[in-house]
Amino acid sequence: MDHEVLAGPGVRAHGAAAPRRGSRGTGQKRARRGRPRVSGVPWILPALVVSAGVVYYCIGYTGWISTLRWDGISPDRTWVGLGNYARLFQDPVFWKSMEHTGVFFVVTTTAQILLGMAFAALLHSRLRLAVLYKVAVFVPVVLAPATMAPVFRQIYAPDGQFNKILDAVGLHDLTMAWLAKPATALAVVMSIQVWQSVGVAFILYFAAMGQIETEVLEAARMDGAGNLRVLRSIIWPGVRGTTLALITLSAIASLKTFDVPYLVTSGGPSYGTEFLGTFIYRMSIPQSEVGYGAAISVMLLILALGTAIVFNAGGRDKEIRRV
Amino acid sequence: MFHRSSSSTRRRAIVTLSATAALVATLAACSGGSTAGTGASSGDSGTVNWWGWTPDDGEANALIAAFNQEYPQIKVVYKKLQDASYNAALRPALASSSGPDVYDVAAGGATGDVATFGGSAVDLSVAMQKAHGASWKDDIYAAGLTDFTQDGKLKAAPVGQIASGFLWINQQIFDRYGVKPPTTLKEWVNACATFRANGLGCLAEGIGQPGFDIDTLHSIADSIQPGDFAKAADGTIPWTSPTIVKAFGLFKQLATDGILDEGAVGIQQYPDVNNAFLSGKVPMVQMGTWYQQYATKKALGAALEAAGVPSGTGLVTIVPIPFPDVAGNSNTPNLFGDPDYALAVSSRSKVVDAATTFALWVSSNKTGQQIIADHLTDYPAMTSVAVDWSSLDLVDPASQVPALQNLAKRVAQVDQSRQAKLPAQMIQALVTADQSVIGGQQTPEEAASSVQAAAVAKG
Repeated sequence: MDHEVLAGPGVRAHGAAAPRRGSRGTGQKRARRGRPRVSGVPWILPALVVSAGVVYYCIGYTGWISTLRWDGISPDRTWVGLGNYARLFQDPVFWKSMEHTGVFFVVTTTAQILLGMAFAALLHSRLRLAVLYKVAVFVPVVLAPATMAPVFRQIYAPDGQFNKILDAVGLHDLTMAWLAKPATALAVVMSIQVWQSVGVAFILYFAAMGQIETEVLEAARMDGAGNLRVLRSIIWPGVRGTTLALITLSAIASLKTFDVPYLVTSGGPSYGTEFLGTFIYRMSIPQSEVGYGAAISVMLLILALGTAIVFNAGGRDKEIRRV
Repeated sequence: MFHRSSSSTRRRAIVTLSATAALVATLAACSGGSTAGTGASSGDSGTVNWWGWTPDDGEANALIAAFNQEYPQIKVVYKKLQDASYNAALRPALASSSGPDVYDVAAGGATGDVATFGGSAVDLSVAMQKAHGASWKDDIYAAGLTDFTQDGKLKAAPVGQIASGFLWINQQIFDRYGVKPPTTLKEWVNACATFRANGLGCLAEGIGQPGFDIDTLHSIADSIQPGDFAKAADGTIPWTSPTIVKAFGLFKQLATDGILDEGAVGIQQYPDVNNAFLSGKVPMVQMGTWYQQYATKKALGAALEAAGVPSGTGLVTIVPIPFPDVAGNSNTPNLFGDPDYALAVSSRSKVVDAATTFALWVSSNKTGQQIIADHLTDYPAMTSVAVDWSSLDLVDPASQVPALQNLAKRVAQVDQSRQAKLPAQMIQALVTADQSVIGGQQTPEEAASSVQAAAVAKG
C-alpha cells in the first residue's frame, strides 16, 4: 500500500503535485535569486493601501471618535476617554440588544441548520420538480430586505394574512398584533431572517452532501441503516465543516443584524427588537450621539472578532481530535 | 550590477511614492475635505443644490419655477430625502465640499435639528437686513426667528409654521354612520363602537414611529391641566407630575376602551396610517396642520397614487376636529405649534450668494410665501401672507373651507411649543414610554419615571 491510497483524495492531490514542483524547483530558486524581491509588491500595493487606508484607518478613526462626546458635525468635541464605554456597560438598552442577539443567533442558526439540512436531504432524493423547489428555497436569498419589509409588515399586521390564516384554521385565539409586543415582534424578525437565509444553508448543505461517497451510503443501507441513522451517522459528520462555517457566519450576521429589524419594527416596540446595529444607528443618526455610537461600533467589532476566533479555534480543535 | 541596483532603487522609489500618494488620497477621502466655500458667485447666478425632507416635489417645483421667473440665471436642483435618513445623508455631506448649498433644518426633534446642523450654516441676518431693511423681523413669525437664531446669528430662514393637537376625520365615514365628532371620552367610545360594529377601525395611530404619539399625549395632558406638558418639556415641572402620570393612564385607556386601534405600537404613522386614512379605510387620525394639503384634490390624488391606491378610488373629505376633552375637566385641548422647516445656507457652499438669494426668496418674499400658503402644507412664515382659498380646488369646499379657516384662527392662538423644545433623546424616551404603557410593560408611574430619568440624564 502506498501513501496515496492511505491518505485519501485530499492528500492524493498534494502527492501528485509534489513531483511537478520538484522538477522545476531548482530553476525557480535560481531565477528568484536573480530578481529583486520587491517585484510582487506593486501588484498588491493598491489593495494593500485601500485596505490599510480605508478599513484600518477608519477602524482607528472610529476608535478615536469613541473617546469623544460629539454630534458628528460640530467643531466642539469633548474628550471623555473611556466614558462612553463605561456608559455602555450601564445602558440597559445595550444589554437588551445583546440578549436579543443571543436569542436571535440560537434560534435562527438552529432553524437554518435544521431546515437547510432537511431541504438538502429531500432534494438529494428522487423528487419530481426538484429544480423548482431549489429555486423556491433560494429565491428569498436574492430578494432585498427593503422590498420585502412592507410585505412582512402587512402579513403580520392585525388584519394581515397571518392572522387570517390562523382564523381560517380555527386558531382565532392566537390572532394578535404580532408587531405590537416585544416578544412576538422579535419572533417575527427571527422568522423573516430564517425565511431569508435558509436558502444559503440549503445550498451549502446540498453541495456538501454531494461530496459524500455514494459507496459509503450504499454500504450503510446494506448494513440495515434507516434514513435517520444514515443522517445521524454518515451525513451529519460528513457536513460538519459546513455546519461549523454556517454557525460562524450566522454568529457574525447576528451581531451585525440591522436591515430586518430596522425596516420591519424600527427596533421596537419598547426596544423589543433592538440589536447592536439598530442601536448604533439610533444613537449615531437620530440622536446625534456619534461618539457613543462609535463606542458601540467598537464593541461590535470586538465581539465579531472574538466570535470568529472562538469558532475557528473550536473547529480546529475538533478537526485535530478527529485526526 | 550598477544598472540593476539603480533600477531597483527607482522601482522602490516609485512604489514608495505611489503608496504615499494613495494613502494620502485615501486619508483625505476618509476625513473629508476642508475647503470652505468661497462665495464667489453673484447673488443672481449659479446652480444651487437644495436638500430637504420637505416639501414634496410638486411644491418644490412650483417654488423653483416661480423663483426662476425672477432669477432665471439661478438653477435650483431639489433633492428630497426621507426624513428617517435625512441626518445620515446630511452629516457627511456638510462635512465635505460636495454637500448641499441650501438645506432644510428643523427647530428641534430628530430630523435636521438646527442645534446639530446650524453650525454648518452662514448667518442670514445680514442678508435679511440688506434685502428687507432694518425692520425685516416685523413681518416674520416671531418663534420662527427665535428658534433658528443661535448666538445672535440667524442660522436658517423660516419657511412656515405648523401646529398639532387636534384630529382629522373622514367626513364621509362619519356621515355614512351618522356619527357626530366626539367631544368627550364617552362620546368617543360610542363613536368608535359604532365604527367597529361596522367592521372599521377607529383612531389609527402609528406609535411605532416617534412623534405623533407625543402629540396625543400632549393633547391628553392639556385636557387634564392645560400647559403642564409644555412645562414638563421645558423643565419647569418634572415628568413625574400628576398630570403627566394621569395622561399616560388615559392614553392606555384609549387603547383599552376601543378608541385606539389594536397594534398601534407596531405600526408606523407613515406610510401605514397615512395610507390607510387617505384611502378611506380609517375614520380618524392624529396629524397636524401639514395634513390640510390633502383637502385639495391635487395633493390627495398624488398621495394616493404614491401609495399605490387604484385609480378611480373616491377622494376622502378630510376635516379637522378639536381633540376631545378626554379628562372630563371641561378643557378643550388647545393647539401647540412650532416653526416647520427653515432653509439654511451651507458655509461650504461655492454659491453662497445665489443660495442665500433662494433661501430668502422662499422665506421672506411674498410670491414665494404665497406658494407656501396655497399648498396648505405650512402656514407661511410671513404674517402678512394668507391662503387664497378661491384659488384652491378642494374635495368638498362646502365643509372644508369653513373648517380649515377655523383651524387657521386656532393656529394663530398657539401659545405652546409642539416638539421644538424636545431634544431627540427626550422624543425617544417619550415614545418608548408610550409604547411601554400601551403594551403593558410599564405602569403610567414607571413610564413617567423613565422619562424623567432621561430628562435628568440629558441635563
